[in-house]
Amino acid sequence: MPKEMAKRELVMNKIKTIFARFGYDSIETPIICPAETILGKYGEEGDKLTYSFDDNGGRRIALPYDLTVPFARLVAANWQDLPMPFKRYQIQRVWRAEKPQKGRLREFYQCDIDIIGSKSLLCEAELAKVIMTVFKELGFKQFKIKVNSRRLLNDVLTKFGVGEKAVEVIRIIDKLKKIEEAAVIDMLEELGLNSPKELIETLVQERLGDFDLSEINQFFEYCEKLGVDQKYLEFDPCLARGLDYYTGISFEVYSDEAPFGALCAGGRYDDLCGLFCKEDFSGVGVAFGFERLMLAMEEMGQFKEMQSNSKVLVTIFDKDSIDNSLKIYSSLLEAGINSELYFQPEKLAKQFKYADKKGVPFVIVCGPEEIARGEVALKLMKSGKQKNIPTNQLISYLSSYYEN
Amino acid sequence: MEPSLEYLRRLGIDLPDEKALSLKCKRSDVEILFVRCSDIPTYIEQNVADFGIIGENVLIEQNCKLPILERLSFGECSLVIAVPYESGISCVQDLEGERIATSYPSSLKQFLRENGVNAAIVQIEGSVELSPSLNLADAVCDIRQSGNTLKENGLRVLENIFDSEAVLISKNYEKILL
Repeated sequence: MPKEMAKRELVMNKIKTIFARFGYDSIETPIICPAETILGKYGEEGDKLTYSFDDNGGRRIALPYDLTVPFARLVAANWQDLPMPFKRYQIQRVWRAEKPQKGRLREFYQCDIDIIGSKSLLCEAELAKVIMTVFKELGFKQFKIKVNSRRLLNDVLTKFGVGEKAVEVIRIIDKLKKIEEAAVIDMLEELGLNSPKELIETLVQERLGDFDLSEINQFFEYCEKLGVDQKYLEFDPCLARGLDYYTGISFEVYSDEAPFGALCAGGRYDDLCGLFCKEDFSGVGVAFGFERLMLAMEEMGQFKEMQSNSKVLVTIFDKDSIDNSLKIYSSLLEAGINSELYFQPEKLAKQFKYADKKGVPFVIVCGPEEIARGEVALKLMKSGKQKNIPTNQLISYLSSYYEN
Repeated sequence: MEPSLEYLRRLGIDLPDEKALSLKCKRSDVEILFVRCSDIPTYIEQNVADFGIIGENVLIEQNCKLPILERLSFGECSLVIAVPYESGISCVQDLEGERIATSYPSSLKQFLRENGVNAAIVQIEGSVELSPSLNLADAVCDIRQSGNTLKENGLRVLENIFDSEAVLISKNYEKILL
């Protein structure tokens, strides 16, 4: 519905402006993809959630599960023509065959930024700055950017002799945020791990003295220099990100203002493009869950009453005044003021009702009396106040109107 | 300008008796610049001048956050909203939807915001008090010193927005004074 779309566009434009401020350029990737380009990239669970079907020509088709894999495919096919490193933003729909619930839809928008072609940790720090900027400028106050290193997690797993089962173990550790520690330990035990309790305690209690923390430390240092407020950052060694392709720093953003899961997530992936070409491009990126941001902002009361696109309705008083109304309408349009014309000389009450239903804030009435005086009657729909002003002041009145 | 020079003299700054946009003082390394009031914050911000004497109203209008070192007790005035005597506007809320003429658009916006009032702002640089009688505006937002100009133009004060006086400003005064 229009009022919902107005809100969505407002938020989307804010996000786009911020991405552009950091020098990211926009791209789009196809929706209908050969299934083999999507399946098998996200692990078993991801495959289960991917929409796939046969088209009329019997080809196996899949819809994007996220924007990262299609992006990696685009880079693999076009890297020679792209500036490297390449910074792009992408705002598109993705699909997941899940049971819909609050903040979890089958069809939703993701807003992605990625930097591909650089291994520098400065990229991760920049992403943290982008994340902070987006959340702050969208009006969030209580949010935490949780950060971990997949490298560190792998080191810990190696020490506990996890070996080949790493992928499954990581996926189970990822559940720590949803289920109890004891249950996670049980699951790991079932998997055949020798000392699951010690492993989980090492992570939860951050007993990491024996491990190489240089990546995490360097990341935090860069963030500080870039002005990423430390109060928004939190090192969380349990953060696992269920997806298979992460290799370095990973992110998840949570907010007390939105208790329905991560609002933004991502991380470093070293080998993703390698799936589609011989070249090896390290990339790092995050996706903002647009629907969840909207839901959170709605609950935070971030949206004022949304207005329709038109600011002014020019009414038609009677048949004889049509020419005058057309002239006013045309002058408003030429001045760049969003406005519209009522198409018939009907009862004014009906024309007002239309403006009211649509949420148009100003209504102009111009009957024979006003025409004779060179004025227009202007009705302010919000207060119901009506005032006459000289016709030639109309544009300056509307363009200098200060609205709270 | 005279009260500013008087203030400088009281500080012991020996001003030469000439007319120029910049004056080097006798017996000290002080240089006095005579610039437009609204340009003074820029001179201080960009470290071109160390101190400025300026009307507080200008600082507020420019949303300038430079620290005030001293209030100088001259150049006293207020920014007010005024309406014609016979106007039906009797309180701030009545300004909703009206045309308000001013040379202080940003102070006016701030005031409207604080009061939750929407209005058309007619921005003009001078002779603001004339605008209601010419049907250019329904109210004015302007500086009042004695109140005579308002009276002469048939206007009465509806609301005082803020009081102002000349102030001494500086950016890095701690460093300079060392």
